[in-house]
Amino acid sequence: MRLGAMLGAGFWLATAGGVYAHHSLAATYESDKEVTLDGKIAEILLRNPHSFLQIDAPDEAGAMQRWSLEWRSSGQLGQQGIRRDTLKIGDEVVITMNPSRTAADHRGALKTLHRKSDGFGWGNKPGETID
Amino acid sequence: MTKAYPAAVPFFLFASLVSPSTFGQGAPALDVTDFSGVWEEVIHEDNYERSGGPPLGDYQGIPLNDAGRMKADSHDHSEWSLPEFQCRPHSAPYQWRALGSVRFWNEVDPIGRDLTAIHIEYLRSLDRVIYMDGRPHPPEWAPHSWSGFSTGKWEGNTLAVTTTHIKGSYLRRNGASFSDKATMMEYIDRHGDILTVTMILTDPVWLEEPLIQTTNYRLNLHTALTYYPCTVSEENISKAIPHFLPGETQQLKDAAGWIPMQAARGGAASTYPEYRLQLRQAQVNTLSPARMPGNAKLSPSVLAASPKHSDEEIHVMPVQGNVYMLVGAGGNIAASIGKDGILLADSGKAEMATKVLQTVLRVATSVAASPAPNKCLGMHCPDSPYRWSSPSLAAVIASPAAAKPVRYILNTSADPDHAGGNGRLAELPSDTKILGVTFPPVGVAPSATIIAHENVLTRMSAASKDSGGKDKTAFPSADWPTDSYRDASYKLSEFFNGEGVQMFHEPAAHTDGDSLVFFRYSDVIAAGDILRTDSYPMIDLEKGGSINGVLNALNHILEIAIPEFRSQGGTLIIPGHGRLCDTGDVANYRNMVAIIRDRIQALIQKGMTLDQVKAAKPTMDYDGLYGSTSGEWTTDQFVEAVYRSLKR
Repeated sequence: MRLGAMLGAGFWLATAGGVYAHHSLAATYESDKEVTLDGKIAEILLRNPHSFLQIDAPDEAGAMQRWSLEWRSSGQLGQQGIRRDTLKIGDEVVITMNPSRTAADHRGALKTLHRKSDGFGWGNKPGETID
Repeated sequence: MTKAYPAAVPFFLFASLVSPSTFGQGAPALDVTDFSGVWEEVIHEDNYERSGGPPLGDYQGIPLNDAGRMKADSHDHSEWSLPEFQCRPHSAPYQWRALGSVRFWNEVDPIGRDLTAIHIEYLRSLDRVIYMDGRPHPPEWAPHSWSGFSTGKWEGNTLAVTTTHIKGSYLRRNGASFSDKATMMEYIDRHGDILTVTMILTDPVWLEEPLIQTTNYRLNLHTALTYYPCTVSEENISKAIPHFLPGETQQLKDAAGWIPMQAARGGAASTYPEYRLQLRQAQVNTLSPARMPGNAKLSPSVLAASPKHSDEEIHVMPVQGNVYMLVGAGGNIAASIGKDGILLADSGKAEMATKVLQTVLRVATSVAASPAPNKCLGMHCPDSPYRWSSPSLAAVIASPAAAKPVRYILNTSADPDHAGGNGRLAELPSDTKILGVTFPPVGVAPSATIIAHENVLTRMSAASKDSGGKDKTAFPSADWPTDSYRDASYKLSEFFNGEGVQMFHEPAAHTDGDSLVFFRYSDVIAAGDILRTDSYPMIDLEKGGSINGVLNALNHILEIAIPEFRSQGGTLIIPGHGRLCDTGDVANYRNMVAIIRDRIQALIQKGMTLDQVKAAKPTMDYDGLYGSTSGEWTTDQFVEAVYRSLKR
């Protein structure tokens, strides 16, 4: 238990710095809400300070929207095996996200990702978070 | 002990004889501290500030005044998703408590070995230079940066650093901010492997007392700073400028339940230890009505703190490329000075024209008419214009050529403080001598070409009456543009001083005749009164101005301009009045204008009259930066102009 806590603290110290470079995720997104989207990948932007995954998926009313999903920095994703050819434009995915505090903005902080074709996923292993 | 003493004497005598300092060849004793190395943050009580930071709406421990609290409450964190904000670094005051290491290194004079500067580099942020060579701080019209301009001196072994010219930014990543009128003192101490930085931030605009923080770092011999680029992304936010209207902030719900609400509102009292006891005694756990945005008053001393330039002299600031900024002629003037002569974007007030001309000719003589320094000798000079006849000596004894004249004046508007000097600067008697030079030189057209949008010509040539009732025109005919344009933009037909110069019409902004002047190679924009750092935008409704036109024009500047690095530098923008700006400054000003526009629009939609809108103080948080109760453009006049513009 103690070892686990130390590893957890060490991980936080090693990674937290890179996460909050240009804005606070907690201040931008509703961390106590979770939304699920089912759509297709439209853009993959692996970059600093945060990466973005954009998908086309319907909103609650059924209207198709472009959603911008904030992700970890490109370096951190690379350490977790997410590289530029891991995901492809057009991949069908199911994602969960913390939605924007501004309801009119179609965006969120990515929580989990599941690719339908092969079951590839992100967000369920230890460390695969952007909080 | 007594027996050992005689034996020790020859040892110390020998040691003193062979020590390097005895021979005057060793290093002198260090009477100051060396901070060189990479230091890692040591997180103590400041853990609260790290990582994601405190909840929205929690300003405890920050001595915000009422204006600062209103500014913080209006903050919507989506603002940081605007393209002009995404890659901004932490500013110097915040940086100490941001996560990441810091590296110190010393710059010394290679001959005298004097410490000339201490450099501080941060992970993911901008480098700072602390000048130790006694140089003064820049003038008030110099640009601001995220790091500011720092000078240091030793107080014992403590490095005392004074920083000015900082861009306004955040104290916490929840909206609590300081303004660009803030100044900072830092006291940096080293105790072995521990570094302690004591920061004292004074802001006459948004803080009622200085903010004092200490932060610790520990020396780490086995780490290095890494490259950390930043790229702007499309983050899918709405096209409006994100902010909350007064009374509608969503921030406070996050802080509620975390700490007593009154403590979360911050203020000087919340920074002292006894505040907890006071809270318990008062048993208050609700938001004080006196702290609600819009109900508070701004200290008159804050309004008086706005610096105004008034020494009746013309000051020159080299901007970049061919362009110089002239300050003190009324409106700021942008001067392109080079091999083709002088081009002025605006001419200032009529009564300052002679001083302006003297100044630009002096600069032209210095930078464009002087002989080039002799940098070649012997066989290395095959292209010398002096050929074989002692080229080196001929270059040394050459005297400066006459300065070339003003060939173009481009007006950003028809305001007397921007176009009043047109005639005097363009039309000079042939026998005029300035700095010993007969003007104009032989073979040069006797007057400059004056170019502006056609609405400027219309206004300057409009019929008027003098004090005696006689017919006259708004401006003497010598001031009128000799060429005008009426399309969206106008280009000089050929390069001037090696670059293209382009004018963009900004319809219905400050007036209906505003132009931006873009120096395309120097990468400088003269913005006229569309942008001014010393007041709210002057919107002349009678001359076709509008609040939305000002916003469109500011957005156009941001569309053209590109930062050098991390939302700083790059394209530089000369405002109509005030200090030199870059994209970061224009974005801050644009957001301020949009936020106030939205507030007044919301009050209009509630059915409020102009007096009711003024009484609601929709500008209170920004009055310390741009407000005025007297002079040519007061806060009341601005609010009225916005109100009437939106009612049209």
